[in-house]
Amino acid sequence: MELIIGGAFQGKTEFAKENFGIEDDDIFVCKKDEAPDFSKKCIAHIERFSFWCVEHGYEPSEYFFEHTENTDEKIIISDDISCGVVPVNKTERAWREANGRLLIKLSKESEHVTRIFCGLSQRLK
Amino acid sequence: MKVLISGGAKNGKSMFAQEIAKKLSKEGHLWYLATMEPHDDEDDARVLRHRKERAGWGFNTAEWGRNIASHCGETDCKGTYLVDSVTALLSNEMFCGMSGDINREAPFKVADDLSAFSDVAENVVFVSDNIFCDAAFYDEWTDSYREGLAYVDRKLAEICDVVAEFSCGQINFYKGAELI
Repeated sequence: MELIIGGAFQGKTEFAKENFGIEDDDIFVCKKDEAPDFSKKCIAHIERFSFWCVEHGYEPSEYFFEHTENTDEKIIISDDISCGVVPVNKTERAWREANGRLLIKLSKESEHVTRIFCGLSQRLK
Repeated sequence: MKVLISGGAKNGKSMFAQEIAKKLSKEGHLWYLATMEPHDDEDDARVLRHRKERAGWGFNTAEWGRNIASHCGETDCKGTYLVDSVTALLSNEMFCGMSGDINREAPFKVADDLSAFSDVAENVVFVSDNIFCDAAFYDEWTDSYREGLAYVDRKLAEICDVVAEFSCGQINFYKGAELI
């Protein structure tokens, strides 16, 4: 598994395309109001999946592994949503924490963890 | 040399940027490019505080809040410019006028302007802000600004020799650590 994180609009998807030979068709973009389909090689905006989980009473760090085959071949992309003010809204607070738990688990399983900043990459693992 | 410094608020970016600008500069050619256009008492107080912080450093001041490329003719070619900040500059260009309209071309213009300016000045230290890592769903207006700033930052990261992020006073290099 490859995990790519970073702030919004920093160039994470471009990095995945350039480094792992994937194309738009290989990417599933999660939505915050739809159940995910983890069959594609690359899963982008997994933080939106975390939001969907919170709203539907699932724990994303469990749901992902229960609903995904060949997890070791996946390329996962997440916005870093961990650095702002604690959200006033209860769902958003739970979302931020749930995504944090998910990323810790994904990062443990990943061969590499890469952070993207202004289009530049830094390997964290 | 061209340097891009970013990071969250109050993490030590500005002080480091001042130090690196001072270090790179030739005597008499150190410039502070003030981009914020003060709008109220709070802004005036901030400007005064920043002036006090810079006192004794030997900065000349250029107050260019927009259209940076139009100032290339008066730019000091031997100058080291501290541009503080890219964030304010984009805000001036993007939200101009009282109509509440967004200038969606502003990010492209600001990136081009700063690139042209970089070609003229000897050294430039850009200060930007990491506003991209929080758990919130923004309105379309705010999100266009975030996307715009990310665009400008990424273009600057391409042309800069050094790119670094500050967290709690610590510097993390993405590019050019060996040059500092």
